[in-house]
Amino acid sequence: MRSTNKIILLVSFFLSLHAALKSQINGNNLLEYQFGELPGDSAAISTVYDRANLNYTYQNFKGGVTLEQFHSPIEKRNYTKLSQYLLQYNSEMLDVKIGNFYETIGRGLLLRSYEIPGAVLEDLSYRSRHYFHRDIAGFTTKFHHKNFSTKLIYGKPLNYVFPPSQSDSYRRPDIIEAIYSEYSFKKQTIGASVLRLTNSSKSAVYSMVTASGNLSPVISYYTEMAKNISNFGLADFSSQAPYALYVGINLSFNNLGISAEAKSYNNFLIGAGVNEPPALVKEHTYKVLNRSTHVLQPLNEKGYQIEVFYTFPDLSTLTLNNTIAINNFGKKFIFHEYFAEYDFVWRDMHDVKIFADYAEDPFKLEEQRISAGAYFEWKILQTSSLKTDYEFQTYNRLEKKVQNHVLSLGYTYKSKLVFNITSELSDDAFITNNKTKTWVGSTIKYKINPENSVQLFLGQRRGGSACNAGVCYEVLDFKGIELRLTSRF
Amino acid sequence: MLCAILASIGLNAQTVKNFELKDIENSTRTFADLKGEKLTVIDFWATWCKPCNKAIPELNKIYESYKEKGVEIIGINCDGPRSVSKVAPLSKTLQIKYPVLIDINSDIKNELNLMAFPTLILVNPEGKIVWIHEGYVTGDSQIIIAEIEKHLN
Repeated sequence: MRSTNKIILLVSFFLSLHAALKSQINGNNLLEYQFGELPGDSAAISTVYDRANLNYTYQNFKGGVTLEQFHSPIEKRNYTKLSQYLLQYNSEMLDVKIGNFYETIGRGLLLRSYEIPGAVLEDLSYRSRHYFHRDIAGFTTKFHHKNFSTKLIYGKPLNYVFPPSQSDSYRRPDIIEAIYSEYSFKKQTIGASVLRLTNSSKSAVYSMVTASGNLSPVISYYTEMAKNISNFGLADFSSQAPYALYVGINLSFNNLGISAEAKSYNNFLIGAGVNEPPALVKEHTYKVLNRSTHVLQPLNEKGYQIEVFYTFPDLSTLTLNNTIAINNFGKKFIFHEYFAEYDFVWRDMHDVKIFADYAEDPFKLEEQRISAGAYFEWKILQTSSLKTDYEFQTYNRLEKKVQNHVLSLGYTYKSKLVFNITSELSDDAFITNNKTKTWVGSTIKYKINPENSVQLFLGQRRGGSACNAGVCYEVLDFKGIELRLTSRF
Repeated sequence: MLCAILASIGLNAQTVKNFELKDIENSTRTFADLKGEKLTVIDFWATWCKPCNKAIPELNKIYESYKEKGVEIIGINCDGPRSVSKVAPLSKTLQIKYPVLIDINSDIKNELNLMAFPTLILVNPEGKIVWIHEGYVTGDSQIIIAEIEKHLN
């Protein structure tokens, strides 16, 4: 009730200003209704999740609020909460944000926050649905002039595992204070940062230096190194010392592009996970591979990733990737993966994509993992197409052969209407009790107009790990009906 | 109720304010420098987004056809730390002809309240967003061209 009053007050305030000053109001809303069964539920239940975001902009100022709600028959899971607010000022030289904001330092060795657009999470423990993001509640200011910029950050990063129904002492256990400055000259940039973390169990100070730029039109580089400097010496790279090193080099020769990256991370999980060093493991869009993505272990991981792109004169593209990640926790785990993908247009009409992948993943107990698949988009007339996709995966787990299959059929009319029916089959003993299990689900998405769309899912959805926009998380199995409405105004 | 109130007061079109980002050559670029005389097309994309990559050759063609008519295209890449290293080599092998800027925090996308990849917006000379298009499938390039023509006239 208190939240509702706050919202009404804020909305009234924004509307009065809008009327007086002829400025802008915009926002979006995501409404998701589910009726079905999730793991742990004895029967199908109805739930509703809604996230409304409203922004007001006048000249250099902006204000915004986000209201999140979840309602189910189980009272303790429900909440209505003003989960974010923001007051912002931007000018040529100064930006100031107070409230909830997203900020990343460098490539994320010290600090990374993010929002996964449209993703709604449900954790098996709390069973409340909530938006998937990791913001910082506090303030930040950035000063920039010509080639120099510096920013100050103070706040409490969100631990997204806990839904808004939980108190902030669980959701935001860490306090960070950080400064980051960078200077650019002749296509080179150097930067430095210091971050202090405080929580109920400790206080620690970390520093970071970074250098990046273009050495020539064909070579660019990025390096970043970070270390705990409060409890360990600058030159201490022992097994106990927290440090992280990332190096990336890019080469481009006409149609050929190469990205090579290396990492060495040790004991480098800051607080409840306010940082996220680059994983250097390919994030696949293919279902069987996305689910098998190696998840970075910042406590101890070394390795590299090389990706090669080649575009042929007919605009078909070849992508090759090789990744190695080594974890040493007393026992050594070596993940390696070889991936190839070829994307081309057949008979000047139909889009075809084929891929093959070989990996060894001792962490997930997946030996000799072979994955392959083909995606066809058959063009019908000028504005519609039929899609037929198939993916296959096999590996050995605990001396037993496992198989996963994904078959999908779809129809697309412009960007207005998308229909898909997907069938998955697995005999993975970890999820099927030694029996073959199938999941069949269909999705229809209709874009009513550029501002509004509706999506309906009906059937079964296979759970497991999923990776999106560089972040990996768990998705629960679902059987039922799900309706999603998204609006922008 | 909220929607009704908003509708009753009438909403102004969203405006793209001047912003500053680095391009794939590590040079700082601003929207004011890059915007088109008559229309600016901004494509928000990511390397891991397959429809985004599929749209790029078509956007290249549109850029070549319309740049002399006062239309500029700006690609804003929103790859996070995990995949941002692939932006420059992929952009070069795809031979993207228009400027590609890097927004590792998705600040501009969030500022404009956009929710999907790819999202393409048309911006008029006053900075107002006159059209938004989410996703990319076969045949969308004709829709994009039709909207450019509509707003050019």
